[in-house]
Amino acid sequence: MSFYPILSAPGCAGQTTLYNFPPNNWENRRMKTKLVNLTWAQHGLWRSVILDELVYGEIRAYTHSDISAHVPENILPLLSLSSMPFPELSETLPASVQSTNTPNWRATLSLVSPFTSTSYQGELDPFPAPGSLLTFAPFIQFGSEIENYMLLLNLEKNPQTRISTVEIYNSAKTDLVLGSFEVISNSISSVRLDGLGLGPEDLPVVICKGMSGIPLFFSKTTNGAHLSLEHTHPPASYVIHGNRWEAQRILKNHWFTKLGQP
Amino acid sequence: MKRYIEKLRRASWSYKQPLTHPPRVLGAPVSDLFLWRNSDAWKTFFELTDLSALFAGPDNPGRTVTLIFFDAAGRSFKEKIVEIQPVCRQTLSLSEIIGSAHGSVGTFSIFHAHTPKVLRALGSNLAERGYVSYRFRGARLRAYVHGNLDAIARLPDKSLQLLGGQSIMRREYNLQHALAPLSNYELFIVNPTPKRQRIVCQTLSINDKKIDAQVADLLPRGTHLFNVVPAQANQRVVISSHLIMARPLVFQIQDQRMDVFHG
Repeated sequence: MSFYPILSAPGCAGQTTLYNFPPNNWENRRMKTKLVNLTWAQHGLWRSVILDELVYGEIRAYTHSDISAHVPENILPLLSLSSMPFPELSETLPASVQSTNTPNWRATLSLVSPFTSTSYQGELDPFPAPGSLLTFAPFIQFGSEIENYMLLLNLEKNPQTRISTVEIYNSAKTDLVLGSFEVISNSISSVRLDGLGLGPEDLPVVICKGMSGIPLFFSKTTNGAHLSLEHTHPPASYVIHGNRWEAQRILKNHWFTKLGQP
Repeated sequence: MKRYIEKLRRASWSYKQPLTHPPRVLGAPVSDLFLWRNSDAWKTFFELTDLSALFAGPDNPGRTVTLIFFDAAGRSFKEKIVEIQPVCRQTLSLSEIIGSAHGSVGTFSIFHAHTPKVLRALGSNLAERGYVSYRFRGARLRAYVHGNLDAIARLPDKSLQLLGGQSIMRREYNLQHALAPLSNYELFIVNPTPKRQRIVCQTLSINDKKIDAQVADLLPRGTHLFNVVPAQANQRVVISSHLIMARPLVFQIQDQRMDVFHG
């Protein structure tokens, strides 16, 4: 089973809805009660508590208020479902076995404003460290009172905090970095995309040479009346069949070499 | 022994039943079957990027993509060639291209004319699984959703090959989403297989009691809208079909606001 973070973003609260039933009727047929684990990284260790229990078929939503007694502010809370409790303290991320593939067992990861909400069906598995990130993100929306953010969601097995740098470029003007931002491992790092000089016909390219993650792109009207949330694809998704991971490696090499060079 | 039986059981669901088949021709471009909506309330946009230029650089300007539009019954009604600018963003207003004579929903695909040599050498096909956005009732913000499936290929003779696999047994897709009361849900399924597909969309109560069942027959490349209005919290949807993964595109509508996501 994967981990399911409770997201956070400017002007919105996170809400994560867990489901104790599989996404199909053929991969996993165990109809058992599951523990809801809450896991977070603190002082160089993974900490876990049992937050709840879901009987088979049950659905329940969790917000920051449900976990604030355990998890300090600004630390990413990770929920998961398991049959056995996780160790209270651990030097490596407790094992979370993926139990379905077609599709993955998912949760609803939502951002909620006072007026509306937006969500995607997602899960989070640990990325290899140090890892890297390349993504093209044509999501910025323009107009008055519209705000755009990238939320970089990272999880690694090691609970020690690492810091890396995200760089954003216009893919047509690769010599000039438009913005550099610090991102932190095992957390959700928010980067404001407005004011970087990107226009409606510019294709932003986002790189991080020292950390991987899921890049979420979040747009909102300033008053929170309208929201949009979606993640970009990893570069391997631009191809199908054959050696996709080699295609991704070629693409990353091409852009990592090119960006920032005169 | 238990493990062996479980392996056999799983094999009956997976043996020779891939999610997608490979295109018959190496290097043929592949696309998702994206959903378009076009009405007074709904407008559709697509973020077009020159994927081949991302691999090879803007060394060969003047490249094109072919957009092919299908109505809800999967009939092709429009083909449009668009010149793509390398390494830039082109937001296509599909509602303007489609016009009003072909219904309010359908599917479309985007085929890139050029596949970089480096991808052909890897035995790979270029796949358009990009980003669609929808505007609802003139809202200032569009809601984005990414492509989901490698559904259809365009072969060198310009014929189309549907790539979706089919299950021997009917299988259920349990949408892991708690339907919110006061919301109206519109769930779309597309048919990426070359055969007509019968889809059953059931709404279940919190106790897994059947509340409603809707049935639709989808022609290849076609789509169908299942409208679900939950009366209580934590109702859910189960979709049964011979599709390998009947993952719906879900629109959640409440008053003047909407959200869209892949189920």
